[in-house]
Amino acid sequence: PERSARVSKVRPPLHQYIRKLLFSDLDKSSIEHVLRQLRKLPWNECEPYLLKCFLKVHKGKYGQIHLIASLAAGLSRYHDEFAVAIVDEVLEEIRLGLELNDYGMQQRRIAHMRFLGDLYNYEHVDSSVIFETLHLILVFGHGTAEQDVLDPPEDCFRIRMVITLLETCGHYFDRGSSKRKLDRFLIHFQRYILSKGPLPLDIEFDLQDLFADLRPNMTRYSSIEEVNAALVELEERDRMVSADKASSEKHSDNEKPSSRTS
Amino acid sequence: MKVHSVRTKVVIRQLPPSLAHSDLIQQIDARFSGRYNWFSFRPGKNSHKHQRYSRAYIDFKCPEDVFEFAEFFDGHIFVNEKGTQHKAIVEYAPFQRVPKPSTKKDGR
Repeated sequence: PERSARVSKVRPPLHQYIRKLLFSDLDKSSIEHVLRQLRKLPWNECEPYLLKCFLKVHKGKYGQIHLIASLAAGLSRYHDEFAVAIVDEVLEEIRLGLELNDYGMQQRRIAHMRFLGDLYNYEHVDSSVIFETLHLILVFGHGTAEQDVLDPPEDCFRIRMVITLLETCGHYFDRGSSKRKLDRFLIHFQRYILSKGPLPLDIEFDLQDLFADLRPNMTRYSSIEEVNAALVELEERDRMVSADKASSEKHSDNEKPSSRTS
Repeated sequence: MKVHSVRTKVVIRQLPPSLAHSDLIQQIDARFSGRYNWFSFRPGKNSHKHQRYSRAYIDFKCPEDVFEFAEFFDGHIFVNEKGTQHKAIVEYAPFQRVPKPSTKKDGR
């Protein structure tokens, strides 16, 4: 069949330069340089395109996503509007991914989980954003008519999402209130896992690694009944704690978030 | 670390892909002019391959105004030039931080 030759996309030079900086120049040793070059750009003109490129973390190397997160955090000092927009966009992408549950988007959805975790590691978002996202992943669409499309029983992708996020930043939730939040989340997560029935082996192994890494002493429950009982117990304990709190009026929360950047 | 501080930042999702910034701001300002500190519009995309809804983020000065805003815009039907209807959703933004008002100019 006659067809005209494919026309390759012609990008304006500035866009080409941005792509070169982010997708080919960027590595551990050049990050300072890339950050400086980015700061020199005409921001009024480039900001929307930069935002677009920063969200393309799935196009680059998986192991370099943290460099993009580091750049985002580094730019917040001078371009806070941009730095906030990055987080808004990532969270929107994650939400949209849950709404569409499109197989073709899986790779980028995983990359976005990693990106969010790295944004936490560079202290650009706080733990509440991470925990809200984790819980959203477990419950989104459940109890609605679309549940079988959004999260079919045999679909384990959400487990992958959780594993990816916690692999990236879960080890920082090892003290204080974020430790308690992770403990609690992991029980809910176990309940979710059990609701899926037998898991593919690769996922099961990744889960074993995750638990061994984050909570080596945590019980892995083997039935929904057991995990439900654990959740009831957890709620019981919470009620007592909040009653205690109420009685001892002055409760000081002096847990300081530990510095995360290594 | 702030724990459960008041939430004032709101996102409007599923706006028509072709909605113009100026049209939206006009509709918002008709009722909420002067009641928010910050507004950010994220235009959608209306190509055949990928359609993306537009979105907007607003940070209200007063947390109570969020309710009035949601009452008005949550479920509000936007009609585009072709007559297609889009039902907007209003929610608290999952990330509550807003840009610092006076960011230093980059000396570079």
